[in-house]
Amino acid sequence: MLVYVVRRILATIPVMAVVALFVFSLLYIAPGDPAAVIAGDQATPEDVEKIRRSLGLDRPFLIRFGEWVWQIVRFDLGTSIFTGLPVTQLIAQRIEPTLSLMVVTLIIAVTIAVPMGVLAAWKAGTLIDRTIMAFAVFGFSVPVFVVGYILAYIFALELDWLPVQGYTPIARGIWPWFQNLILPAIALGMVYIALIARITRATMLEVLQQDYIRTARAKGLSQRAVLFLHALKNAAVPIITVIGIGVALLIGGAVVTESVFAIPGLGRLTVDAILRRDYPVIQGLVLLFSFVYVLVNLAVDLVYTIVDPRIRY
Amino acid sequence: MDRRTFIKTGAGAGIIAASGGLSAPALSQGAAAKTLRFVPQANLANFDPIWGTQYVVRNAAALVWDTLYGVDSTLTPQRQMVESEEVSADGRTWTFKLRPGLKFHDGSPVLAKDCVQSLIRWSFRDPMGLMIKAIQEEIVAIDDRSFRWKLTKPYPKMLLALGKNNAPCTFIMPERIARTDPFQQISEYIGSGPMKFVRNEWVPGARAVFEKFADYVPRSEPASWLAGGKRMLVDRIEWVIMPDPATASAALQNGEIDWWENPIADLVPVLRRNRNIRVDIGDPLGNIGAFRLNHLHPPFNDVRARRAILMALDQEEFMRAIVGSDDSLWKPLPGFFTPGTPLYTEEGGEILKGRRDIEGAKRLLAESGYKGEPVTMVVAQDQPVTKAQGDVANELLKRIGMNVDFVATDWGTTGQRRALKTPPAQGGWNIFFSWHAGADCTNPAGYTAIRANGDRAWFGWPDVPAVETEVTAWFEAKNLAEEKAAIARLNKAALDNVVFVPPGFFLTYTAWRSNVTGITKGPLPFFWDVAKA
Amino acid sequence: MTAQSPQTPATLADDPVGVTDGGKRRIGVIRLVRRYPTIAIGGSLVVAVILMAIFAPFLGTTDPTAISTRMRTREPSAQFWFGTDMLGRDIYSRVLYGARVSLVVGFSVAILASVIGLAIGLIAGFVRAADAIIMRVMDGIMSIPSILLAVALMALTRGSVGNVILAITIAEIPRVSRLVRGVVLSLREQPYVDAAVAAGTRTPMIIIKHILPNTLAPIIVQATYICAAAMITEAILSFIGAGTPPIIPSWGNIMAEGRALWQVKFYIVLIPAIFLSITVLAVNLLGDGLRDALDPRLAKQF
Repeated sequence: MLVYVVRRILATIPVMAVVALFVFSLLYIAPGDPAAVIAGDQATPEDVEKIRRSLGLDRPFLIRFGEWVWQIVRFDLGTSIFTGLPVTQLIAQRIEPTLSLMVVTLIIAVTIAVPMGVLAAWKAGTLIDRTIMAFAVFGFSVPVFVVGYILAYIFALELDWLPVQGYTPIARGIWPWFQNLILPAIALGMVYIALIARITRATMLEVLQQDYIRTARAKGLSQRAVLFLHALKNAAVPIITVIGIGVALLIGGAVVTESVFAIPGLGRLTVDAILRRDYPVIQGLVLLFSFVYVLVNLAVDLVYTIVDPRIRY
Repeated sequence: MDRRTFIKTGAGAGIIAASGGLSAPALSQGAAAKTLRFVPQANLANFDPIWGTQYVVRNAAALVWDTLYGVDSTLTPQRQMVESEEVSADGRTWTFKLRPGLKFHDGSPVLAKDCVQSLIRWSFRDPMGLMIKAIQEEIVAIDDRSFRWKLTKPYPKMLLALGKNNAPCTFIMPERIARTDPFQQISEYIGSGPMKFVRNEWVPGARAVFEKFADYVPRSEPASWLAGGKRMLVDRIEWVIMPDPATASAALQNGEIDWWENPIADLVPVLRRNRNIRVDIGDPLGNIGAFRLNHLHPPFNDVRARRAILMALDQEEFMRAIVGSDDSLWKPLPGFFTPGTPLYTEEGGEILKGRRDIEGAKRLLAESGYKGEPVTMVVAQDQPVTKAQGDVANELLKRIGMNVDFVATDWGTTGQRRALKTPPAQGGWNIFFSWHAGADCTNPAGYTAIRANGDRAWFGWPDVPAVETEVTAWFEAKNLAEEKAAIARLNKAALDNVVFVPPGFFLTYTAWRSNVTGITKGPLPFFWDVAKA
Repeated sequence: MTAQSPQTPATLADDPVGVTDGGKRRIGVIRLVRRYPTIAIGGSLVVAVILMAIFAPFLGTTDPTAISTRMRTREPSAQFWFGTDMLGRDIYSRVLYGARVSLVVGFSVAILASVIGLAIGLIAGFVRAADAIIMRVMDGIMSIPSILLAVALMALTRGSVGNVILAITIAEIPRVSRLVRGVVLSLREQPYVDAAVAAGTRTPMIIIKHILPNTLAPIIVQATYICAAAMITEAILSFIGAGTPPIIPSWGNIMAEGRALWQVKFYIVLIPAIFLSITVLAVNLLGDGLRDALDPRLAKQF
């Protein structure tokens, strides 16, 4: 088990290296000049050139890549070209909103989707099943910003139940915090709900065919007990897998959701940084996202061994 | 009790019950009244007003750093940090004396040496600063409160240079910070202005926070733009960055923000319907669009091709694309200087007036030798003003038979690409768009874009000696009549040779909650005298 | 969109479309609809959208790029069926022409990602030496959220439909190549493939005879999902300003331009959103139907 964990962790290093090289080269050859943006509209070309030199943007690729890697090894992601602030600080002050959004989305998605999936499997072939599955396909098909705008229109502007935008730190109270996250989380969660509901239904259907479920039924266990005690427990593995895979989906969706709901999170930081060509920030963020993705998948693999004792490493 | 209050109260009660009594809402009740939440035009991405010259940086800096002089609403420079000044009879030596009791946010007094060092740093980055630097003999502190600036020849626009509102302004920083290379960012944000910058609450791209500076001593005169007593009536100002106008509009309607600097015109009717919201023109000096042509490469190295565009250009199309359906928000601009200011002129502007002549433009274009070669037009999509101009220009150029290579990109890339002098096929460009605040276009002092000194001119590198002659004539003008004459000749020369194409003059709105009072019209949002009930 | 783990080989359903009884076509169609209603609904919707895109010039449209700011933001009317946008362009025409972009992007990405992913998957599956490197690169790409990857790639190049296709394709390739590699690896263990190798059959022959038939079904299913995902990604890229050039009418662009006005002119966003959603829905339904028809094992899993 420990050997497996260590091996899995080591295996992430080449992946991260590929990501690092990829991201660095990508941005190196990218057009767009941070110096020009900084200098502002009234600056002369000479000003721009001087700023470029002062930022070290005129030095060769390998030197810059080498320096960057050496920095990262020392847990230093460099300094943002635009703000002059350390990238680690920029990321740190934005982790809470994004993390909150993702956690709330996950919780909402799972609490809605799993019962939906179970219900659909239980009533397989009926109108209920078809309705749920139709909803799931629908969830895949509507872009997240459209859902976001419609929700904001109804619940914030027309009904005035919830705030339209923004983020309240959790330190200022659970309810203010949660209030701001409900709409974005539902918007972001649509795809996720659809995905998890489908997987849950499919795995439940499969599990329900298994012998031991039939045995359990034969023993006279109630339908509900069969579904939730036995079947769902066995369906947990694929559901967890999907949650792991979905993290990438969530990060991508967060970019749009955060901009629609003005949440000061990592997604907006990323888009801003890319549009402004703030290289150190982009590099730090993509590394972070990849790292999170790799880590979550590692965690998912480890959770398997707990949820399903049949899986051994 | 309206529905919202009801729900909030209900929710609040629930939380109090759940968390055992402690409640954040109770705490925020008093604080909310003294906190002004403001949505600026753009993200405050960096905060060195000398190093970065975007409008948004200047606007925030005006809270934190004070200036020696400040222009009032008539664009006249008035004393601000300065108590008195003296100029020698030959006009070459200026001596300035500071007001007593000025303090920086770290508690140290503002000394003459701080001003000297700040002015030195500024003079590297400012067009007027560079002119002064070129004729500077010495700048020295005489004692703690006075310093002297000696020049080799008179510089009549000295006070305007020290008090102007175009970036970079002469923001005064402590000497140790002002020692930073002018091309490097400062890392400490300490000024002597009415508000302190709360650095640890700064989230670039999301939020910037300012707190009242208790030791600030405002002047006794009433405030007028950057002049007079900057009295703060709120304790805290939060800048909330909202890239999406729809979100900002909704937030203002819901009372989640107090003041939105630049609502887009199409949303103004919605805001007006809300009785808790006031809407007005933000800056009477408005903005001037900029349709820049590259004078170095065909087809626009030929003046006939440039004139062809003026002939066919319909300013109404451009302006409506920018400001929407509200006709009170734009004016035709057959020239380059801000309408409503003393030097405004339409001299030479006939070509932009009357019926648009598409056929004439086609003929002129053919005479210039244009034969359908691709014309590279770089359009930044992330700025509504450049995007709108690009969309309309694309249609216009197609109509006069130009083969447009439309390069949709972002402001950052535009910034880099426009600096390239290479031919368009090798990464250069033929056309890009920008805009200038009307406050910057009242005279040639800060109006870099009107200059036509070839290689050293702004992007597009127009080389029109006649324009440069008149710029010098304006700087040397002794009175308003002379200034006006010079500017009229300048305007004509600039239009005859098409330094750049002016697509028109437009205004923007600003909107605030009705419990906020004291908002004045001006080229930047002034927070002094703004109160929140 | 549906993230799928590597699949085990699948068998083709013996009568996938249910139209083998040549003479009785009518009955065949009815049977098809009855057996695979999702294919029928999804398929006919997709065909309808394709026809709409192709015949856009003949469906009462005007020049979708013609600007007339004097006619801006008109509500839907007899003259402008879907109203006009901020520059006075006719939204009905823009939406119809916009279908072309979504379809071209969706189908091109699906085809390119499938073909390239197939090739990479085959190489990884057959060439041991390359496998580790290829799969690490694929893992690396996969670990970057696809929208971020596409945004970053778009920042690199100038906006064009081709570059949008390329950017989304790169993000989607790893999914296909993993799928194919999984199939290849498991098939190599099969006795009959072993036997073929032992008999000296050359690799290309093995690929054509054994591998391709078994990968085709899951790839087709995967390709429809990629197509749907690509359409949404295109819209998102355009929405955040890093997609199809704004002078080309695309659903994403129409929505991006209308987003600021959604409070006052909701239809500018809503109409293209409905078209996009229906098209993506149709493709997803088609995918579900094909999966059920072509790949019963997959159907059970998802």
